[in-house]
Amino acid sequence: MNSLKSMNLKRVLLGRKGNDGLLFKIVLYILLTGISFIFLYPLLSMLSMSIMSLEDLIDTSISWIPRNFTILNYVNAFEWMNFFEAFSDSLKVSVYPTLATVISSALIGYGFGHYQFFGKKVLMGMMLAMFLIPTVLTYIPTTVLYRDLSIFGIDLQLMDSIRAFWVPALFGNGIRQTIFILIFYQFFRIIPHELFEAAEMDGSGPLRTFITIAIPMAAPAFLICGLYSFVWYWNETSLARLYFGSVYTTLPMSLESYINMYRSMYSQGQVTLDTVNSIYNTGVQYAMTLISIAPLLLVYLFAQKWFVEGVDRSGIAGN
Amino acid sequence: MKKIINNIVSILLKVKLFLVKIWTPIKTFFKKKVNPIILIILKYTGLLWVKKQLNRLPNKIKKAIYGILFILPWLIGMIAIGIPILAKSIRMALSDKYYYIVNQGWQITGNWYDFTQFKRIFSDEPYHLTQILDTLKDVSLVVPLVVIFALILALMLNQKLKGRAIFRTIFFIPVILLSGNMLANFQSNGLLTVPAIANGTITSFLTDYFPAIFSEIVAQAFEKIVLILWLSGVQILIFLAGLQKMDASTYEAAEIDGASMWELFWKITLPALIPLMYINIIYTTIVYSNLSNNAIVSIINSSSDASGSLAGTLADEVNYGRAYSAALSWILFAIELTVIGGYTLVIKLASRRYE
Repeated sequence: MNSLKSMNLKRVLLGRKGNDGLLFKIVLYILLTGISFIFLYPLLSMLSMSIMSLEDLIDTSISWIPRNFTILNYVNAFEWMNFFEAFSDSLKVSVYPTLATVISSALIGYGFGHYQFFGKKVLMGMMLAMFLIPTVLTYIPTTVLYRDLSIFGIDLQLMDSIRAFWVPALFGNGIRQTIFILIFYQFFRIIPHELFEAAEMDGSGPLRTFITIAIPMAAPAFLICGLYSFVWYWNETSLARLYFGSVYTTLPMSLESYINMYRSMYSQGQVTLDTVNSIYNTGVQYAMTLISIAPLLLVYLFAQKWFVEGVDRSGIAGN
Repeated sequence: MKKIINNIVSILLKVKLFLVKIWTPIKTFFKKKVNPIILIILKYTGLLWVKKQLNRLPNKIKKAIYGILFILPWLIGMIAIGIPILAKSIRMALSDKYYYIVNQGWQITGNWYDFTQFKRIFSDEPYHLTQILDTLKDVSLVVPLVVIFALILALMLNQKLKGRAIFRTIFFIPVILLSGNMLANFQSNGLLTVPAIANGTITSFLTDYFPAIFSEIVAQAFEKIVLILWLSGVQILIFLAGLQKMDASTYEAAEIDGASMWELFWKITLPALIPLMYINIIYTTIVYSNLSNNAIVSIINSSSDASGSLAGTLADEVNYGRAYSAALSWILFAIELTVIGGYTLVIKLASRRYE
């Protein structure tokens, strides 16, 4: 009787297969919660610091919950960043290139994934090789080239305009675009060929087949690529500064110049912990950081339901 | 939250219905008015003839032409943007000085076969050379760790758990936050760590109870682990997609034959994930060696970016100029290739027994 009990206990704790025991579950939950905390930590600590008043920021005894709750930091951040203008600049700078990236990646991915032609492997190898080249390597030559780039004899005038972002994206040279092309390539490759054959039997041309059959099948790929490229263009500051820093100021660019200003003031001793300034302090900096990533988090929260499902479904063809 | 989403979905459905409604008249308009005009244009520009000839071609060639037409944007981009950039950066790395003079354009001095900048890095700049070696060490340490952690986390997220969706949502947050200069921002503010590590609680505990060498290594590993976790977002996604693709019936069959979880992992899961492992190694290497906290990248940024790479005149070229940075970034490229090549070889050799 006793041995039976201990066996039952053992089964409950360790499970039958090894991954269904109670012990396993507990360890898993502890690990997952711990890692989740690591990922959430920057957001939470920025949030708590951004609603602290100046006295609370200096007071080392306060670590998480502010004694004097304030939204002054956010008001200052909004004003300093010139929020509405910067927000609309940000949208312009990230939405157009995202559209260009998604459209051209889908086309190129379909060309590579669905069709067979001479030299395809070589071309794909070239694409991968170009992807390996460090981005810093391309900064200077790119700016040199973009100053007077023309395609088919049309002077594109890329500098000081968002064109510097979306025109290259349209030609497969956007930020990390190779990843998107490869994602679409994978998606279009696994669509059953019978579907295309049936459409072609009915007299559908290549473009029509692409629009009516291939695109609906790759909806998750559109979502993943759209989200990622939106995020990457939104957060891109060094390229943006090089290309159109004098014309547009996006939210992350504004944040960056605030941090630079804050740092230089700090090192010159204009701002110290005793003479904290109501405009240049950590609370305002974190408020700004949160403001500049809030749109991304919102988009992500709304899209993640489809996003995670899309990942689940990406393997199942014809779903 | 659910209500809001449902509302949005219903609004989207209404929009779709509306679009369908207005689409039909547009379609008929196109069929009746626009199509004949297009036909006339095609006829007189000779495109109709081209189309007819195309239809006569064997199916295989026709499809090849369609394929090339689809990738045409990329081909144009490659010829007009990709290759020129590459050529320019090679020339830049193989020159003495590369500078801009108003009204005269870009000036290049030095013969390419002198390899001036590379000689300079390897003989005159011992500090930069150690930085290069450190980068190689660092990248080759972090890359496999990221891939292994991503694999473990993906396996964990793939288990049937309550609240799996919440964990997944949280686990992909780094993907949203870590691009552009955000990582450097977070890191300089000490946000990419956990207070227990930052305050030295763990370190002091270790130094109190363990020998110094051991505690130092473990403390460094802890520092790195947080960064590694932060870097593994996309890789988890790639592994998860692969895990979802796996056939459940294979597992069931193996389980009936009495395979343990351990055996299932080594004999079924891992072999299926090997192709994804190559992708993840490449991706991690690229992302990690291009981060702005990388030693080589920060040398390049401080030497060439500060003066503005566009307006760079001869004066900026005196110290570490454009040519020097270009040479450094080619060395970074070589480091990337070494790391990717090395680990690809390791995996290839290790996975031989599955073939």
